[in-house]
This record gives sequence, structure tokens and C-alpha cells, in this order.
Amino acid sequence: MKPIARVGVFLCRCGNKIASRIDLAALEARVCRDENVIHCETMAYPCQKPGLELIIKAIAEKGVNRVIVAGCEGRLMMKKMETVLEPLDLHKGQIDMINLRGHVAMVSDLTPELKAEKGAKLITAAAAEMVMMAPSLQTLAKIEGPVMIVGKGVASFTAAHELALNNRKCLVSVASGNPDAILADLHRRYPGESQHHERLKKIISETVASPHVELITQGELSGLSGITGEYTLTFSAPEGAGPLEYRAGAVIACMDAELSPPQDGFGYDGKNVLFQPELEERILRAGIPTGQIIFWINDYEAGYPEFSQLSTRSAWSLAKSIRDRSDKPRILMMYNEKMPIPLSVAERSVSRKLGILWVPFDKAVYPTLQDGYISFCNLNDHVEHEIPWDLVVLSPQRQLGESEKRTARILGLLHKEERFLTGHHVRVRPDMVGREETYLAGSAKYPCDLHEAMRQGRKAAKKTAEMLQKAEDNELYLPRVVCVVDAARCVGCGQCQELCDCGGISVVEGGGGGLPRVVDPMICMGGGTCAAACPYNALTLQNNSTDQREARVAALARQLRPDEVVAMACAWGGLPAADNAASLGLKYDPRIHILGVPCVGQIDPSVLARAFLAGAPGLVLIGCLPEECHHSFGLDHAWSRVNFMKKLLTLCGFDRQRIALAHADLNKPEEFIRTAESFVQTIAALGPIEKTPENISKLQSLYAMAKRNSRVRFLLSAGLRRPWETEFRGDQRHGLDYDQDFSAVLAEEFMQTRVMELLKMEQRFFNLQEIAGKLNEDENQVGERLWEMVHDGHIKRSFKNHQPLFGLN
Amino acid sequence: MITFKINDREVKARQGWTVLETAREYGIDIPTLCFHEAVAPSGSCRLCMVELKEGDWSKLVASCIYPVAQGITIFTETDRVRNVRRWVFEMLLAACPASAEIKVLAAQYGVVSTRFPSENPEEACMVCGLCMRVCEEVVGLSAISIMDRGVHKKVGSPFLRPSEVCVACGSCVTICPTGAMQTIFDRVRPQPVLPLTQLAL
Repeated sequence: MKPIARVGVFLCRCGNKIASRIDLAALEARVCRDENVIHCETMAYPCQKPGLELIIKAIAEKGVNRVIVAGCEGRLMMKKMETVLEPLDLHKGQIDMINLRGHVAMVSDLTPELKAEKGAKLITAAAAEMVMMAPSLQTLAKIEGPVMIVGKGVASFTAAHELALNNRKCLVSVASGNPDAILADLHRRYPGESQHHERLKKIISETVASPHVELITQGELSGLSGITGEYTLTFSAPEGAGPLEYRAGAVIACMDAELSPPQDGFGYDGKNVLFQPELEERILRAGIPTGQIIFWINDYEAGYPEFSQLSTRSAWSLAKSIRDRSDKPRILMMYNEKMPIPLSVAERSVSRKLGILWVPFDKAVYPTLQDGYISFCNLNDHVEHEIPWDLVVLSPQRQLGESEKRTARILGLLHKEERFLTGHHVRVRPDMVGREETYLAGSAKYPCDLHEAMRQGRKAAKKTAEMLQKAEDNELYLPRVVCVVDAARCVGCGQCQELCDCGGISVVEGGGGGLPRVVDPMICMGGGTCAAACPYNALTLQNNSTDQREARVAALARQLRPDEVVAMACAWGGLPAADNAASLGLKYDPRIHILGVPCVGQIDPSVLARAFLAGAPGLVLIGCLPEECHHSFGLDHAWSRVNFMKKLLTLCGFDRQRIALAHADLNKPEEFIRTAESFVQTIAALGPIEKTPENISKLQSLYAMAKRNSRVRFLLSAGLRRPWETEFRGDQRHGLDYDQDFSAVLAEEFMQTRVMELLKMEQRFFNLQEIAGKLNEDENQVGERLWEMVHDGHIKRSFKNHQPLFGLN
Repeated sequence: MITFKINDREVKARQGWTVLETAREYGIDIPTLCFHEAVAPSGSCRLCMVELKEGDWSKLVASCIYPVAQGITIFTETDRVRNVRRWVFEMLLAACPASAEIKVLAAQYGVVSTRFPSENPEEACMVCGLCMRVCEEVVGLSAISIMDRGVHKKVGSPFLRPSEVCVACGSCVTICPTGAMQTIFDRVRPQPVLPLTQLAL
């Protein structure tokens, strides 16, 4: 049974900062009048020990189970509130904060009474949200079974070694368990790293011998299903046998990047012009080469300067091992003048002793390989010099191999068709930082040397072991703000899975369409754009749902004056910008009412529509700067939804400018103020939406469409920017023709919705003229729509005196 | 309940409260800079100094970290307190001449000039460490820290490079009492990631 919400509001005087600017007695009186609030109290500092003790007392006495603290920035104070109130069974989502100081008190010259009014609007809106909130249960994460290490990278062994040290069972999928065979092949992916081979050999032997480790040397990874804690991995068996299935609690991927010869233009021929792994191969097979060997560190010229240091280290270590074993070959390193040489002082001295020459060349002129000579432009005299060569060694190209790509795709790691698997920006909770390290290691993540790959493997295993230990000790709770799928409503269209950037959504079992999806709460980051995109409202962001936000925005919009606007500001751009404007003492138009949201991408179109239905004259979404969204593409998705609303507003005959998307940088509060003021002025010039019966019925249709029309919602989600779409041309997220088609569909569906709403309301039969007259639309268009609706079975047609009448089925 | 006196007024507190918390609860004003309710107090700016008198001797204590005790007598506006506060303000004005926030607060307490020379007219940071504490205690990261020692102390990310760990939440900017973090933040937060192929040659 859903417990009844009992909302307690605690107002902060903040010394004198709030009390001197807001009439707190009036504010308290207003909040007390709100039927959703059972307790309201003003205190000196609710955030300090004395204040917190009073809050705890009030919660116990009044049976409060939702808390709103109206004081300062929730971004800073929420953690403390949550920590203090957790023992009282109040968790994330049940506590909210209103920035009374930063959004009301400090930022305008309103009278204390008017500020009290504004504060009361924000607080009662938050209370309305709290009443709609259905808190989820605190659930322990269950992670059992062995750890599966896939990907066949060399880091697999260090990871397995570390897990074995922690007495954790693990299954390791590798090509072979023979240390000598592995080391003999290692130069293909990590050239010039023989100094680590002995250590690695020991690790491999120990790992293979460990009772905790089971090697899987046969079959390729072909499938993964389930969620964290209960994964099932399938391996295709060789030669016709049935597929092998393994169960695992956690998965670590250890993969190495593939090295290939440089592209055309460097004279590579595989005989005398080689790339690094080939040189090592030749040394292994045919011994030390003789003559003049030139290492050309060509990463700058080949277009990947970021790997030049890595290539130089390999080249240096190869050169050193050659000179260590024979003093016959002469060795010369050629490098772009822009590259700093990654050698220590001691190594430089070794290099001098071994007679290895380092020759920088002018970055403006690329060296040219000719018969017997290589020419380059000298830095000092700008003369083209020539050096004879017998063997030229180039840097390798690095990229993901096909088998690594396949594995990454199965594991849901490959969201963007890029060269490597690292993703940097998706860090929205601190526990997410470093999570990347718990499942990914090796040079396929980002090019690195052998030592680093081995370290990453160890680190991934360590983090996984820590997680398993926490789960075992019953200390690991599932995150509270994550998406959940209502399997009964899910039709398996897969929109959410395509849009999800965290890879937390998967098909319940097996493959194919039409199957419901399931969310892995340990992976979901609570971005919520998937929930807002669901055509059938089957996905909910728990503890932060669309219903809650609708209630909040409606409660606020109902109380607004005709020239006041709602702003929904994202926690990474708009909201901190507003907070910072206040701490800098800036002032702005008080008619803007700010609601904080974690990401503008999680605002469902129905929330936008609800704001207008409840009477808001204007609504602005203030997100991050373009391409800097913390939640994958939340900002772009908000753009599409705003665009959708603009179309609907036009269909209603209202001005498109009533809704807008804006961008804010948290560190540029002055720009945020310009955004706010410009929008407020636009809306003030437009005036309110008149509350005529016709307008109200149009807004009702608008809301019904945004909320429930699956066709429209599906089309909207289909047009959202996908995580793998890296190109962004600035003006169009998708083609103009898509947009035009979408407008046409909207017009059609809007007319249909209005007809349905009319018929539902009146519950009788109408003729064409009546309907067209009631809707105030063109008779021909209405007629056309009505025939189609009859044809599609949405409404019924009957005849009276040979005249068609239309009504509900 | 612990009973003691602030400015001759009897106040009640509980074990574990600080003098500052108790004073604020009773509406007694004590200026602070490096104190913020969201994080643990550190007592680094010394602006919240109050005088603790016992018999015929007295000492100055930082009220934000001084725990209450039965029967102590605290004074927040004695000559000695005002004097040390003026000194602190003057030193702050010299150390961070670019901070408008400090100027405003100092002026509220009647300090408008300083007798100390200022080394860097652009400096706004007083190295109180609030930004570092909020990053660690509230956000749960350690993207910024205080580096170097003594007079060379400064705030920044490791190696003064844009941080890989920073999530760009801006908590440090919001909490900064001097406005210095606005500039430092732009050097700390991760730079937009360019596609690898677009890196300038």
C-alpha cells in the first residue's frame, strides 16, 4: 500500500540573509494554508546541528515522511540532509530543497511580501511534487557467482591474478594458457616491451595454476544476457558442438588494440620499410639486423599525434635492445620537432652512451623516403639534408580489431563508432567516476603500454572484488533514481535501448523484437531521457517520475501571474548558473520561477504540455552548453521535444515563442541573466493565453497528445539524436523532410485528438458542420479527418435523415 | 543540556555543538568566510574569532571549531575581538585584493584599507580550502586540492592541468566565499573532448 505523503516544510532565516529580505511570517502562513503541507516551521539555520535536531524532532512528532528545506543551494546541502535524515528512513527523493536565498531573496528588489509570495509558489509546487512521489524500497544489490573475464587481452591475467589473490572465483576467456606462447605473440600488440615479459610470465603461470581460476580457451563470446549480478554469457563452440553457457556475477573486459602498418605515403613495404611489431618479429626470427636503422616516429604525419609518446617509448626500447645486443647497427631516431622526447635524464644518458642519435625535423616539411636516402628539413639551417638507410621502422596504426569490436558490441561498450572504447563525459554521480575502471582494461580502451594495461587489469579486478565484498556484507544498495520498466506496458519497440547511453537497458531474454526491456539498476545513470521517450509510458524514472514533475509544474503554473514564467533549469548548467548569480550578488527579473531538474533531457513532453494547460504563459528549459550535456544527449533530446511543443502551440494558434530551449554555462551567470530576462520580456510582450473555453479545450488536446498519443510519441523518439551520431551540423538534428512529415502527422493527430475530446466531453452524435463549428476549423479538413477516423475505427458513423452523424464507438 | 554565556546572555546547547552554531541559533552575529554548513569546519580563516574569558585571563578561539562547554563565557564584540578581526580583514584585503566579496564584508565591519602590501593585485583566492572540502565531502571526488606549502599555497587540479576526475558540477564555484573559484574553475574542468582526428597538428 502506498503510504500517505506527509510533507514537512522547514524555512531558513539564514542568519539575516533571508529573514531581512523575505517576510518569513507571511511565507510561513502561505505555506501552512497549502493542503499538501502538514507542518511548516521557520528556524535560524536548519542546516546546522541545532536546526537539524529540531527537524528530526518535528519529523518524529508529526510523522513527516517528505521533507522540504527552503534555504540555500540543494546542490551543496542535499548530501548533508540526506545523511542526517537517512536513519529516519528518509531517502533520496523524499527530501527536497528550495533555494530561497539564491533564487528569491538575493536576486531582486521585490518587497519582502512579494518575495514571500514567490517563495510560497516554489515551495507549494515542491510540496505538490512530494505528494505524487512514491518512494521505492531500499533494495540490496545481489551479486553472486564468479567473475567473468572476456576479451582475450593480456590484462586478463593480471585481473584474474588479482581476483585469485582476493579468493574470488573467476572464469577467464583467453586464447591460450601457455605463458611462452602468449609472450611469443605479445609483440604484435605491445612491441618493444620485453622488459616486462619475465614478470608477466610469472603472473600467467601463477594465474593458470590457481584453484580460483578457470580458463576458457575454446569458443568466441557470442552473447550476454541478464543484469549485474546474474549475467549469462554464451560462447560459440568450435566445430558444431552446442553453445557453451556460463553464469557470472560480474564481467570484466580486457582487450588490446590492434596494430597495423601505417597508411600509404610512408613507403611501407614490409621488407625494408617496416613497422615496429615487424621489426621485433624479425629480431626474434632472424636476429639483429645490421646497417643504418632509422626509426621514423611518424605519428604526427600520420594524423595521430596523441600516440607519438607511446610509439617513441616502443621505438626507444627496441633501439636499446638492438644496441644492447650488437654494436654493429647504427641507430637514428627521427621525430617531429613538436614532440617532446619522453625519456628520463638517465635514459638520455644511456642513449648517448649507446650512440643512438635523435634527429628532430622541421614540422613544415615531411621527410621523404627515397631510394637509399631519406630527406628531411633541418631545424637550424632549413636545408634539406639526406641520410642513407638500410631499414626504416615506422610507428604502428592503432585501432580496435574486429574481434574486439564484436566483443565490445556484445557487452554494450561500443556505443560510438570510434577508434577506442573510452567515454569521458558520462559522469553524473561520483560513484560513476571510476566505474569505467571496473569493467574495462587494456589498450583497446585507449592506447597504452603493457605496464599500464597490466595495471588496468589489476585495478579492474580490485574494484570488482571490492564491489563483491560490499554486496556480500549487505552494504551495497541499488541506486534509487534509476529507470524501471513496466513489463505489462512495454511493447518492445526498443526506442529506449537505442537512446540509452549507459547501456543499462537490455532485452529480457534472447534477441529479436517485441520482447519487453529490462533496466540494470547498477548501470543506469538515471538520465531519464529514455523514460521521457517511451511511446507507451512504460518506463519510469523511479523516485523522480514524470508524474511528480507534472504535479510540480502544474502547481507552480496555476499560481503564476499573467506575466510570470516557468524555467526548468538543469543541475549542470542552468541551476548552478542561477545559484552563482546569487552568490555574486547579481539581480535579475523576478518574474522567472526556477525549477531545478537533474537534466532537461528527462522532461517528458507531457510535462511541458501540462505547464501550459495549468496556465503558464511561457516555459523555458535552461540546459548545458551544446555538446556538453552530462547525460549523453539529454540536451539534444530536449531540443527535439521543445520543437515538438512549438509545432503543437502553432497548431493551437498560440505563439511558438512561448516555449524555448536555452543554454547556460554555470560559470557565466551574467549570460544566464540575459537568457532569463530576454525570455521574460518576450512572454510579457505576448501576454497570457486567454482562458477561453476554446483555448482550454485546445490545451487539453495538446496535453492529451503529448501524454498519450503513442504514434506521435513514437515519431518524436525516432527523431531523437542517437548516442552514436557524432556529426552535428548545427541547425538540424534530422532532415528537413522528416520535420515536414512530422508536422503533417501532428496536424492530423491534433485534429483527431480535438474531435475525440469533443465527442468524449459531450457524449452524443454530431454532424460535420457542428463539429467544424465547435472546433472552429475548416469544414473540408474536418470532414476528411472524420472519414478517416471512421475508417480506422476510432469513431462511429450513423445516419439521420440521410445526413451522417459522428459519435463515439 | 550545557549552559554557558555569550555576551552575558545565558544560552543552552548540546554536547557536540560549536560556539558558532549556538551563537547563530540565538541570532548572535559572527562573521565567517571559510565556514560553510555543507562541509566540516576547518577554522582556517580566523575571522570568526571570539574571546573566551575565564576569571582574569582570556583567550581567543575560532568559534566555528570550538566546542561548547558548561559554564564558559564567550564574548563576540570585545576590543580584543574587534582588533583581531580588523587584522584578519587587513591581511585578507592585502592577500586577495581582487575579491569583491571580501571588500564588501570588510567594509561591513568598518575595514576599508590595509597597511600590508599586496603582492598580486589579481589574486582573489584566500586558500581557505572550502572548494577542496566540498569536492571531497559533498561531491565525493577530489578533483581539486591545495598544493605547495606556506606562502606558495594555491588551489588547483593535479599538475595544474584540466582534471579528468572533475565532473564540472560547479559546487566549488558556488561555495567559494571570495569569488576566486570562477577563474580557477575554468582551468580545472575537463575541456570538451574533441574527436581524436580533429586534434590540431
